[in-house]
This record gives sequence, C-alpha cells and structure tokens, in this order.
Amino acid sequence: MALANQDPGCELRRIVRINEEIKSVIARAFKINLMAMNAIFLAKRAGQSALGFGVLSNELRRFAMDLQRQMTQLRETTYGSVATVTALVKQARLNNVLERARREATGIGRGVIDEFMRGRHGFAHARQREQIGALNRRLSQMIADTSQLVELGSVLARSAKIEAAYGGPFSAALMQVSSDFENTIGEIQRSLASLSKQREL
Amino acid sequence: MKTARVIYEEGGHRWLALVRDPNRPEYLIDTNEYLVSVGDDAILLDPGGNEIFPAVFSALSTEFDPRKIDKLFASHQDPDIISSLSLWLEFNPQIKCHISWLWASFVPHFGGNQDTFVPIPDGGADIFVGGQRLQAIPAHYLHSSGNFHLYDSKAKILFSGDVGAALLPPGEDSLFVEDFDRHIRHAETFHRRWMGSERAKRDWCDRVSQLDIEMLCPQHGAIYRGAHVRRFIDWFAQLEIGIVRR
Repeated sequence: MALANQDPGCELRRIVRINEEIKSVIARAFKINLMAMNAIFLAKRAGQSALGFGVLSNELRRFAMDLQRQMTQLRETTYGSVATVTALVKQARLNNVLERARREATGIGRGVIDEFMRGRHGFAHARQREQIGALNRRLSQMIADTSQLVELGSVLARSAKIEAAYGGPFSAALMQVSSDFENTIGEIQRSLASLSKQREL
Repeated sequence: MKTARVIYEEGGHRWLALVRDPNRPEYLIDTNEYLVSVGDDAILLDPGGNEIFPAVFSALSTEFDPRKIDKLFASHQDPDIISSLSLWLEFNPQIKCHISWLWASFVPHFGGNQDTFVPIPDGGADIFVGGQRLQAIPAHYLHSSGNFHLYDSKAKILFSGDVGAALLPPGEDSLFVEDFDRHIRHAETFHRRWMGSERAKRDWCDRVSQLDIEMLCPQHGAIYRGAHVRRFIDWFAQLEIGIVRR
C-alpha cells in the first residue's frame, strides 16, 4: 500500500477490494475442506488401492483449515488498517479545510495558520509514513506466508492426482476429485496474486 | 470570505457578527456567527460547519486573535452549528464547548473528548466572559429538543439561534432588518416548519418578553433591532407552527 502521497479515500476503496478477495479465498478454503472430507470417504471405499490418496486428502483438509485460519488473520489485519486509513482520510480533509483557510486569511489569521500548519505537517507526515510502513510490512509478510502455504496445497493436489491413477476401479472418480482440488487451489493462487497486486498499487 | 461587523462595542466589551460570504456555495445554508469578547476573553457563538470554517476563521481573525478563543457556545447540535468543532480544537485543544446536556454525548462525534463539553442543564446557566455574565436562556424545541439562546444583559443582545432566522434571497441580505413586513416573509416558512412546539414557543415568547433586548441576533438572516425585536416576538407568538404545508 504505497499511499503516503495518494488520495486516502482510494485506500479505503482498496481495502474493500482486498477484503472481498480475502472473503473469496476463505470460501474456497471451506470448499476444499468439504471436498477433502468427501475424498477421505471415497478413498476409504476404494480401499487398499487408494491409501495414498486418503493420506493426501487428510493433508489437504488440514491445509484448508490452516488456510482459513491464516486468511481470517489477514482479514483482521485489514480491518485494523481501516482505522489507520480512516485517520488519514480525516487528516487529509482537515488539511484541505486548513489550506482553504490559509488562502482566505490575511494578517494575523494567515500567520496563525502558517505557524500551525508547519508544525502539524511535519509531525503528521512522519507519523503517517511510519503507520503505513508498518501496515505494509505486516500485510506483505502475511501474504507471503499464505502463498507458501498454498504452494504446499498445490503440491498436495498434484500428488493426489498421481495417486488417483493408482485407484483401480475408483481411478476416474479420484481423478475427478483431485482435478477439482487442483482447480480450486489454482483459483486461490490467482486470488493471492491479485491480493499482492492490490497491496503494491 | 465573510465580513466581520461590529454590532456592539462599549469599552472592551464587543459583539462581532461574522456574516455574508459572497463565495459561499449555494448548496450550503448561509449562517451568522457571533463573537462576544470582553478584553482578551471571548466566546464564539454557533461557530458553524466544517465547510465554512475558512470563511469564519478568516473574518474573525481580522478583528480578534483566534488563538485566544477558549469557549464555544452551541445553541444546539446541528451540523451547521457545530461540525467545525474539531477544527477549532486543532488550534486550542483546551477549548470548552457549552451545549445542552442533551447533546453532550452526541456532539463528540464531531470532535472533542470528555473534557471539551460543559453541559448546560435544562433550566439554563451563566457563562462568564471577561467577568461579564451571559445567560443561556432555555429555548427547547425551538427547534431542537435541547436548545439554548444566549443573552447579554449589558449589551442587551439576545443570540436567538434559529428563532428569527430568515432565508434571504440575493439582494435582500442586509445585516439588519430594514423593512419588517418585507423581511418576515422570508422567515415565515422556516418558522412554521422548523419550530415544532406551540407550547415551547409561547413559553419562549413569555420568557424573552421579560428581557430588555435591543438586538435579536439569529443564526440565519438579518438582525432585528429596536422596535423590530418586539414586532418579531409578537409575530412569532401568533404564528401557527409545527405544520407541514402541502
């Protein structure tokens, strides 16, 4: 979020977009969780030939729960940033009114505003930069951690696809489930890439 | 920018009216702000909304050092009355805002903290400016349910908030009411619609009739002075209010 010199109103709108993306990832993680549960039952029915697939389904289920937890934390951080950005919006609005007052004022009024704004700007900008920097670093770290986790999910989905090939008469059904895993995780990766992009804008 | 007009001055005791901004956007209702000062002590009455802060601040500072303002009086809670509070607090975080107790926990949404507000009880209160006593006179339900006017017995001026307000057309916006009959047409619709209680109106008319008033200063429109004050009170007393005309 490189927002120090931008319209803080844009930042609020960006947070809304980030939050929508997070919600979609959480929904997909929930879907993977359900899919993994079904896959575990399917693997049990397939018996000995789908033992590996069953293990991987278990791992995918754990992955889905970890991902949900991580995305919830990301959402909380994003909500927390609303307070920071709201303060920036308020600050920008205040600066705007004061700037208008400075232009209109003459004599002592102009002097008072000049003096006031000099002290205020330096302090406010430094504090804004600090807050935004901290927020930026935290969001970057969280998205990077989540991307790593999803990479693991992607590997698990690919492995499940390989294991499906050994599923005997259940092979086609297992292949279908593993493709669904792969597709859903692919969607999550695209969402995360979009999140990364939103953050950098 | 608005103009600062001295409407009363005796010794160090002064009333300034901050009025008529030619650059005001049409979508904003015109407002009057008043500064009562006694020496270096001052109170700003109905300081106005955020949007007009530059105009008020600039006009005021042509006559008075704005850093010395440590008291605000808000007749009620409306945005055109007090939404600039946070800006005044930027200049003086110690500023005190006198307002009906009813609004003391609502108006902090515009700014301020638990130390900012001096709640006025329903019966009214005295506010001292440079030793001069100003009286917060109850005007509840005219139009706000927690509403006060401010009376200065020495200057014989009553700041009457929305009572006496008129929405003046361009070209008829002199500072003082000149032709009462012509002026009052611009006040009629406003009073019929905004003032909601007949009983409150009668009480107010009785109350202010007992005061010695030379000038009645509303927050919108022109100032009534001399005989026009009595005429206004009589006019208001007989006006049917609290109705929506279709």
